[in-house]
Amino acid sequence: MATIAKAGPNTRLWNAEADEHDTISTRTFGFWLYMLSDALIFTGIFASYAVLSTPMNLAGGPGPAQVTNAVEGFWQTLIILGSVFAYSQATVALKNGSKAGVAAGILVAMVLGVAFVSMGWHDLAALTAQGNGYSRSAYLSIFFTLIATHGLHMGIGILWMLIMLVQIVRFGFTADVVARLLNLRMFWQFQATIWVIVYVYVYLLGGTA
Amino acid sequence: MSAHHSDPLQNPEVQQGSTLRFATAFLASVLFMGAALLVSQHKLPFLEFAEILVGLTFLTLAAQATLFFGLDISRAQIWKSVSLILTVPLFIISVGLTVWAFSSLYSRTMLPANEVPSMSMPMDSNATMSMPAQQTLLQ
Amino acid sequence: MQVDLQDPWSPLFGRLTLDSIPYDNPIIVGTFLGAATIGLIVVAAVLYYKKLPYLWREWLTTVDHKKIGVMYIILGLVMLFRGFVDGLMMRTQQVMAVGPDSPGVLGAQHGFLPPFHFDQVYSAHGTIMLIFAATPIMAGLGNIIVPLQIGARDMAYPYLNAVSLWLTTAGAALIMLSLFVGEFSNAAWVGLMPLAELPYNPGVGVDYWMWAIQLSSLGTTFNAINIIATIVKMRAPGMTWFRMPVFTWVNLSTSIIGLTAFPVLGVALSLLTADRYLGTDFFTVGHGGNFMLYIDLFWIWGHPEVYFLILPPFGIFSEIVPTFSEKPLFGYLTMVAASFAIAGIGWSVWAHHFFTMGMGPDLNGYFSSATMLVGIPTGVKIFNWLFTMYRGRITFTTPMLWAVMGIFLLLFGGFTGMMLSAPAINYTVHDSVFVIAHFHCMVLVVAVGAFAAVAYWWPKVFGFKLDERNGQFFFWTFTLASIVVFVPMFGLGLEGETRRLDYVFNPQWRPLLIAEEVGIVLYCISVFYFLKMIYVSLRDRVPAGDDAWGTGRTLEWMTHTPVPFYNFAVTPQINALDELAWRRENGLDKVKPQTFVPIHMPSNTAVPVIIGAMAMALGFGMIWRIWWMAGAALLAIVVAVIARSFDKNQGYILTAEEIAKFESKTELASMIAEQPKRTPLDHVEAH
Ligand code: HEM
Ligand SMILES: [Cu+2]
Repeated sequence: MATIAKAGPNTRLWNAEADEHDTISTRTFGFWLYMLSDALIFTGIFASYAVLSTPMNLAGGPGPAQVTNAVEGFWQTLIILGSVFAYSQATVALKNGSKAGVAAGILVAMVLGVAFVSMGWHDLAALTAQGNGYSRSAYLSIFFTLIATHGLHMGIGILWMLIMLVQIVRFGFTADVVARLLNLRMFWQFQATIWVIVYVYVYLLGGTA
Repeated sequence: MSAHHSDPLQNPEVQQGSTLRFATAFLASVLFMGAALLVSQHKLPFLEFAEILVGLTFLTLAAQATLFFGLDISRAQIWKSVSLILTVPLFIISVGLTVWAFSSLYSRTMLPANEVPSMSMPMDSNATMSMPAQQTLLQ
Repeated sequence: MQVDLQDPWSPLFGRLTLDSIPYDNPIIVGTFLGAATIGLIVVAAVLYYKKLPYLWREWLTTVDHKKIGVMYIILGLVMLFRGFVDGLMMRTQQVMAVGPDSPGVLGAQHGFLPPFHFDQVYSAHGTIMLIFAATPIMAGLGNIIVPLQIGARDMAYPYLNAVSLWLTTAGAALIMLSLFVGEFSNAAWVGLMPLAELPYNPGVGVDYWMWAIQLSSLGTTFNAINIIATIVKMRAPGMTWFRMPVFTWVNLSTSIIGLTAFPVLGVALSLLTADRYLGTDFFTVGHGGNFMLYIDLFWIWGHPEVYFLILPPFGIFSEIVPTFSEKPLFGYLTMVAASFAIAGIGWSVWAHHFFTMGMGPDLNGYFSSATMLVGIPTGVKIFNWLFTMYRGRITFTTPMLWAVMGIFLLLFGGFTGMMLSAPAINYTVHDSVFVIAHFHCMVLVVAVGAFAAVAYWWPKVFGFKLDERNGQFFFWTFTLASIVVFVPMFGLGLEGETRRLDYVFNPQWRPLLIAEEVGIVLYCISVFYFLKMIYVSLRDRVPAGDDAWGTGRTLEWMTHTPVPFYNFAVTPQINALDELAWRRENGLDKVKPQTFVPIHMPSNTAVPVIIGAMAMALGFGMIWRIWWMAGAALLAIVVAVIARSFDKNQGYILTAEEIAKFESKTELASMIAEQPKRTPLDHVEAH
């Protein structure tokens, strides 16, 4: 190890100031990693969707073109993007420490989120009512799974927002609360990202091909 | 212990957000998706259509990554960017190779069915290939 | 809309009836009596010595990465033993059931296990060995060593770390429970499709398998997040990327696999769960289902998983070989690069597990050549170890012996893997015991790495070395056993013995099967020496120094032995790769910090162990379709998570005086010592 410097009088062996870690950014990084793994859950589902959306998988039931509507899906796209924008604006208000601003942004995001989920729910319920439920064919199984998995994420996000509303009031903007708000922002934006792929892949590419 | 006393609102990730950024991300996403919707209403050749869609999706995702998520190479965000770049190939290979592997599987292993338009296997000769033939391929 | 089952179901107990308990099977009853006796003795001992509060405070509710690591390893070793007994049963069955004239006992036509029971044994063996023995042991080692090697106080998320442990434990507990309540899957560790579907497997066995894996893989994913974040965010000052020890590097690469591959397994199992519970049609034979999709998803995880297992041993060898050759590791940078190359290639070769599916020559060609590519970085590693030893001053302590053995096994496994990755060869030996012999060479690398690591780092954790003499007996018997079991197996595989046989039709294979049985007996002897090694070491407790082997090179050997719960009294400043070796060369290795500053420590918490218990209840409820139980357990988990987010506990402060006291008498701060109660900080300043 000739290339390595010899110890000198200024060599430092211990560093007592080293204990200060930026806990917020450590937490957001960990949450980001979780989201990457979540993205791979969706990847697995997308791969399954690709395999199970051929004519062989319909078992005589409806296919992509019959179960999706590109224009309706676009409204959902608008709503979820609006919700994400509202939540993001809440974190802009966070910069000035405005509790009212943060709460207002979250509330709008929640309302839009609920609207989005109920539209998806309505679609699936309508299909089921026609006798095209998830057990009709492999294609419908994976279609329902994809929409429901995304919807479940949305539901968890809405519950999380509710909790954050309480915590903002109770605790104010502590490091914990701020880290959670930032994580929730990533989580919520991530749902829009996933939806964009669902929309393009399922509603546009599959639906019109 | 200064980390515990510093103001959480000064954290770079809090400070990074701005209305301009988020509004641009929102508008860009809406615009690109709107364009995709419009394209889908025209009868284009499938490949061309798919190419346009992939392009628009890529633009949307790039806008979201940089403007919504605020990914860049700053100290606060670099590791998120790096980890994403390391993971994106995995998304692509797991979907891509799967699609590739299954794209010709039915025509290789299943009964030729009339609904399947593109059969690479001769339609006549194997009309009697039965389910057990397929099941031997199980493992 | 859930699937209708044929058998009786009651709202209170679901499918669970008294008949589910196999009290008429002598093997299981015997096992139960044995397990119950050991369990009772342990419980009685804990109560008699009044250790329950200690166990609860210092272990079950701990968030200390070293204790969590130790518990992971204990869990892994217990499961390793269980898996070993399964192996013993399989070998014995096969040697007894050769040819039409072979006798049968205990209700079996041939041998002593009826087919249905035998199928459960091999399914359990594979599941347990890979997911509940190898994985926890490697996770535990990473947990203990990585923070020490990078000079961190703990993992990035100590609480999440405990959650990971208890989720894995919940999965393991479910598997153990399947022995005594109900049955285990008979559809192999991979889940053969559509055999694992409800129409062909209406019992609870597949459900046990599914839920056990699902819970533990959740734990593994969390652990991967934790390790990555720890390495990225918690390194001591001066610990630049290229000063990190190779063991830390491989933990990073393996955790990237853990983070990205396990979710896909989650998808595969969830879709199967939907098929079995809700009546969807993903992998069914009718209704447009495609069971090859399951196999594809499973191996998208499955192949990265085997590299997830083998990368940590690569790191272990990279620590042990330089220490006992008294030379720096040869080719540090190529070692790091090779680890990532292996992880990357390992992610893109999965279809070599189903060449025979019929995906066509293009893809078989791609997957074949991609698989062979992995030989290059693996070869780089092997040569690096050899060059490290070349002209080194080698001492053959037990860890070093294990490491050398590991390199040999890796060669065997690697070469046979190369053979398997040629589709033309694969078509003839696929699903034969040749494959079994191949991957056992590989998985034995993991086992051997685990034994090497335990022997190597044991003194650091507990303050005394493992007994060398018995350790060497253990090594030699184990090595001999491995050869005697697996070399004949290659031969039988080439002769066409297919895997998973409860009855061997060809009497000419008997001699080699007998040889394998002899090997298994040798393994039994090695287990004896393992236990004796532990017993003798615990009895004698020869104290070890801070640098227990005298030639350690990395950071973990710089702090006290046994490691105090706060790891380093003062965080070290890193000046070089192999910091300790560098300090030794500069005569600084004995310098200890003189002044201390307060340390902020996390408080213990009962939430993780509660989550683990609830996860187990959730799994049990789902397996037996006791909906109220599953629902209540899920609700309890959600409530626990939310409630914890309202907890104001901010940890506690260890004062400079306390640290000074612990530093002068480190037994007080060691792993097994009982620490005084602490009052947590609960002020949270709002802005
Ligand atoms: C040089 C590297 C390797 C190559 C080229 C290789 C190649 C292969 C191939 C082609 C198969 C499929 C055989 C068949 O089913 O027909 C296979 C199976 C297997 N390999 Fe490897 N392998 C390698 C390393 C490893 C490692 C490092 C491990 C584990 C730590 C491992 C564990 C397994 C397992 C568990 C199976 C069989 C799974 C099953 O069907 O139950 N392999 N290997
Ligand atoms: Cu493989």
